[in-house]
Amino acid sequence: MDVRGYETERTALRALEPEDATPIQAYLNDAALIGCRHLPWSLQDVAPVSRAQVAAAIEEWGKAKAGFTLGIEAKASGRLIGHAGCDWNWDPHCPSLAVVIAPSQQRAGLGSEVSRLLLEVLFLETPAHTVIGWLTSWNAPALAFAAAHGFSECGRIPRAGLRDGAYYDDIVVDLLRREWLARRGGGGRDGA
Amino acid sequence: MALEGALVVLREEQREDQKLFAELRNDLDTQAWNLALPPSYTEEMHVKRFDAMEFSYERRSARLVIVHKETGALAGYISYTDLQPRLSASIGLVVAKPFWGTRVALDAQEVLLRFLFHELGLRVVHLWTHSGNPRAVGLAEKSGFRISARIREATYRNGRLLDTLVMSLTRDGYGERHAEFQDTLPDPTALLRP
Repeated sequence: MDVRGYETERTALRALEPEDATPIQAYLNDAALIGCRHLPWSLQDVAPVSRAQVAAAIEEWGKAKAGFTLGIEAKASGRLIGHAGCDWNWDPHCPSLAVVIAPSQQRAGLGSEVSRLLLEVLFLETPAHTVIGWLTSWNAPALAFAAAHGFSECGRIPRAGLRDGAYYDDIVVDLLRREWLARRGGGGRDGA
Repeated sequence: MALEGALVVLREEQREDQKLFAELRNDLDTQAWNLALPPSYTEEMHVKRFDAMEFSYERRSARLVIVHKETGALAGYISYTDLQPRLSASIGLVVAKPFWGTRVALDAQEVLLRFLFHELGLRVVHLWTHSGNPRAVGLAEKSGFRISARIREATYRNGRLLDTLVMSLTRDGYGERHAEFQDTLPDPTALLRP
């Protein structure tokens, strides 16, 4: 893993460009992702999005001064397979982390590679003390993913929205720097 | 219908209120934020913010001034933000120190909750605070809020690592504490439950 180069074994994270709107739109409109697409607050997350809306999202992400959203490229194919971001706009002490992988590319460990990389970025390159994730209660795979990366459920905020005729909750998960260090086996690069 | 309680009236903010807002912002005890701000805000800065506000029918937030009915004095302000219409919002409350312990804060909170649940038809109201502010937690609990998230050590203030707290009050929870609340707004999930 190359933290400062933003590369993992099989992925490379890179800045998003306007022409990325087409591949991003393709996976964002997969029904399996709707409701968990990590879009800017100004965009809806319950219905298909247009290419112009995705272009607006890319522009919005590009304005971030405290954090970033990057495209995830599969090294093997050179294709954009997702996006991921860190946000410390409120407080660099407690940034949030989000990873979105195209459904067709899920369950291959790519999201895990990216999560491990971004946790290294946050804990080695920023003053992060508590990293936070926001998930929805209906998204069991995401909850399992967060747990597998050491996050603990620290809250369940009721009535975040409606899905399938029922309210769902926002699940908040957190990971402390000392917990991350303990799992990693040390504080230097590559756990040394 | 005025936003009026037993002790307070909530009204729109006015330019002459900005002096108090600057004073409350510059007092580390009354900022009430998870993240401390430098005590260097001026009345002029607040007036500029006030003057920049524009008319809109798509308001997602509001700040209301708390007026103490008995004396006419300004006691602070209460706000809501992050409004998701017919669903949720977060509230915030800042009360000047002379009014601490006078039940003014609780009265203002109840008046705003009545507006949010009766008029805006919200299904849940949240607030954010931290574990080093037992006064805020206790006040919220008096209105029925319960802690829904405790984000560990996510706040650093006054030299201490503290937990960030999210507290929530559902429409049902509000109704249970207010017998006068005859809720005629159908729950969107009610007819769909098995």
